[in-house]
Amino acid sequence: MNLAANANAALYASMIVYTLAMLAFTWHLAARAPTVADSLATAGAVANEREGVLVGAGAPAPSERRSATPYAAGPGFEESIKSRQRGSIALMLTYLASALLVASVLMRGLAVGRPPWGNMFEFATAAAAAVGAAYSVLAKRNNWQWLGVFIVTPILLVLGLALTVLYTEAGELMPALKSYWLGIHVSVAFLAVAFFTLAFAIGLLYLVRLRREEKPPAKPSFIESLPSSASLERTAYSLNMVAFILWTFTLIAGAIWAKQAWGAYWQWDPKEVWTFVIWTVYAAYMHGRATAGVDHRKSTYIALAGYVAVIINFTLVNLVSTFVGMHNYSGM
Amino acid sequence: MSTDTNPTTSPATDPATAKGTPGTGAGERVRKGMRPDRQEPTLPTLGTVGMLRWGWRQLTSMRTALFLLLLLSIAAVPGSIFPQRNIDAGRVADYIAQNPTSSPWLDKLGFFDVYASPWFSAIYLLLFVSLVGCIVPRTKVHLSALRSTPPRAPARLQRLDEHAEVTTTLAPDEALAAARAVLKRKRFRLHSHDATSVSAESGYLRETGNLLFHLALTGIIIGMAVGHLLGWRGDIILAEGDKFASSAGTYNTISPGPWVDTETLPPFVLSLDKLHVEFNETPGRSFGTPRLFDAQTTLQSSPGAPASSENVSVNHPITVDGADIFLLGNGYTPVITVRDAKGAVLYREATPFLPQDGNYRSVGVIKVPSASPKQLGFTGFFLPTAEPTFTNGPVSIFPDTNNPEVALSVWEGNLFPGGAPQSVYTLNTDEMKQVTKADGSPTLIRLKPGQTYQLPGDRGSITFDSVKRFAGLSVRTDPGAPISLVSAILATLGLILGLTIKRRRVFVRVRPAGSGAAAGGSTPDGGLDSPAGADGRPATVVTIGGLSKDSDPGLAAIVTAIAAGVPDRLAERTDRS
Ligand code: HEM
Repeated sequence: MNLAANANAALYASMIVYTLAMLAFTWHLAARAPTVADSLATAGAVANEREGVLVGAGAPAPSERRSATPYAAGPGFEESIKSRQRGSIALMLTYLASALLVASVLMRGLAVGRPPWGNMFEFATAAAAAVGAAYSVLAKRNNWQWLGVFIVTPILLVLGLALTVLYTEAGELMPALKSYWLGIHVSVAFLAVAFFTLAFAIGLLYLVRLRREEKPPAKPSFIESLPSSASLERTAYSLNMVAFILWTFTLIAGAIWAKQAWGAYWQWDPKEVWTFVIWTVYAAYMHGRATAGVDHRKSTYIALAGYVAVIINFTLVNLVSTFVGMHNYSGM
Repeated sequence: MSTDTNPTTSPATDPATAKGTPGTGAGERVRKGMRPDRQEPTLPTLGTVGMLRWGWRQLTSMRTALFLLLLLSIAAVPGSIFPQRNIDAGRVADYIAQNPTSSPWLDKLGFFDVYASPWFSAIYLLLFVSLVGCIVPRTKVHLSALRSTPPRAPARLQRLDEHAEVTTTLAPDEALAAARAVLKRKRFRLHSHDATSVSAESGYLRETGNLLFHLALTGIIIGMAVGHLLGWRGDIILAEGDKFASSAGTYNTISPGPWVDTETLPPFVLSLDKLHVEFNETPGRSFGTPRLFDAQTTLQSSPGAPASSENVSVNHPITVDGADIFLLGNGYTPVITVRDAKGAVLYREATPFLPQDGNYRSVGVIKVPSASPKQLGFTGFFLPTAEPTFTNGPVSIFPDTNNPEVALSVWEGNLFPGGAPQSVYTLNTDEMKQVTKADGSPTLIRLKPGQTYQLPGDRGSITFDSVKRFAGLSVRTDPGAPISLVSAILATLGLILGLTIKRRRVFVRVRPAGSGAAAGGSTPDGGLDSPAGADGRPATVVTIGGLSKDSDPGLAAIVTAIAAGVPDRLAERTDRS
């Protein structure tokens, strides 16, 4: 078997393991929800008791009142052993799957003797590998088992699409891509996308969590076992911040490369336009986040819009002929 | 403008206004909805100066910057959807031809020149003004903040985001000194407003970085402006074996910036010796995709200067006299000879045909003004690998010259109606008629290299001698690029500083143990003289409070470190004794 075939085998293997991980993560979430119901019942009782005492003692401080409301208490949530075990299994599977995927990308790179992102298929797999790797590195430390499904499922979708729709034989590069900037510019872009993706998933969960904090639902679900909305929002912000720095670098590296390849560092080619659009939208998000009077929910909407632009940039702009520019390397 | 550098006033850090308190939002909505007698706020009369001031303040507010950034991102999108003249004028023309109803409007609104349109320019100019209007006052504020001392400790340290209280055996002044030592090590700036407390602040670099970032953005824009004013580009199509001497008149097209003196272009001489091109020949999806373009050239920095051999390829430009020479395109130049009826050569040239698709189906024109009695024009295609049957018209099926062929139609009449200048790649047929065969059908000429076609009537002949490649070279200078590059690097640096460094304030207050001060209450002065706890009994209560401008997981660690730092000193002292 040659390297390219090995790369494909590893890709299929990683998809199988990711599927198992996805199931395990779902199983893990299923174990979280009832526990929440339990711990909320007790927390509620305790809170009522305390409320009684406090009312007797005078007006409670706002922060104390907050922790007494049901559903708002992410940190107070006690994870059951069952759910913890399932979470660990799911994480292990994800590590394995991500390792296989990264290995697949590396082998493909060795097989073709260049950075393995010269066409849409390679692009999609490498981006998925970056997301998987970033999640794997960060998940354990941050107790992100609850995030797993929301990361692994999109990875599987992207890999499936890559294999069915975008598949291209490992081949040589077009001359315009033969530059070490391909390695630098594109790999940083993937890393940025990986962080944007994590932030996007957490941002969505933040909105759901916030909504349910404001209007507590009749029946709690795993959402109530997540960290508080404020904490989710902060995490999403930190991830977006890292992604934004990486994206800034991508933009600059792209301009330097464009100068070398096309003679002008900026000429509003569609890919450049969208890279710029993404950058300005996230810059607006950063501003919203720092502006007093713009609430975090609104800034989160801006960040989500930014992610939509990221997706458009990696799909439509590469594939649809209205966006024809100088970046037509999709291999399609 | 929310450029407040005081962390205490940021609502994001104030727990009392933190969102997630159920009911608050809903309650507010109800209250607003129920207020029946909502009055318009009465504005004080401002006067012209006041209005200007007010407008300026609006323009330079962060909300406006946020809005303009979003607007800019939306405004940039149409330029990626509609064809743009600055990228491909030909596609714009096609688009206009295909959409005759909508395109005049789109054109008027600037949708084919988005990045030069008034509305796009208006947005970024406003943003630029807002940016400058923002940086200047913020820089002033920051400079004075850099020189100021941390503020007095608030009364109730327990109210701050992070706080801790420890009791230690150290005497109050020793405890305070220990806390100061920890803060010093963590690079805080310290100031004691009284003997029982210390105020500390760190993270001034955050605002410095933020200002550097915004300042560098203006640097990028200045670099772009310089490039626009002082840069120029010229394009040449150069066939193998041909020579090019650079001067304003010799470029096929030249676009100098408004401040460029075209008399001072670098006078280099470049000849194209050979253009190496390779295409993928393995069947499959990437069949026919390019693999290599490499132009082998001979370069002299001026006529008569020593010649050197240089290779120009994609991603590898060469530089001469501050101008970069890029290989941006390539194609074919069929060498065609036109003779009159007696066999005298009227035209013999390597004529560039411009590729239209990935398989280099190329279009071109041959103009023979010296033909008589009427001028002759040929227009049509060059096909590097012609599909032999022509069932779908002239089509090329591979980009390399595996089966080269030209397919031309012939016109006669006046080539240059009105003597107006025209493109060498199009034939103006306003005053020309297509040459027909005896049966009245249009003459269509198909030639392979070496073949000759006798034109009907006594019009002579046309021969396709051979085919050479041409290189599309672009010569460019951009004196603004280094400014933009340096600014971009500084912007990234500033961004990293501004986003990762946290602006923090930490306050420490000591009071003698058992002095009875309620938690967070003010310390009675003079309590410092109480006996030190040398005998190991608790002597001092240390209260620590920390504030940060935004989410800051590191703050708790600092508070903990100070709390731990106080007893640590005791342990050290016991060790030494
Ligand atoms: C060219 C347009 C602009 C861009 C791309 C931009 C981008 C950014 C970004 C990415 C940040 C977050 C990074 C950081 O905190 O260091 C930021 C922060 C900030 N920007 Fe801008 N900005 C622009 C214009 C402006 C203008 C016109 C103002 C003036 C109102 C402004 C005021 C601020 C302030 C005060 C912060 C600090 C927020 C904080 O303390 O975290 N920006 N900007």
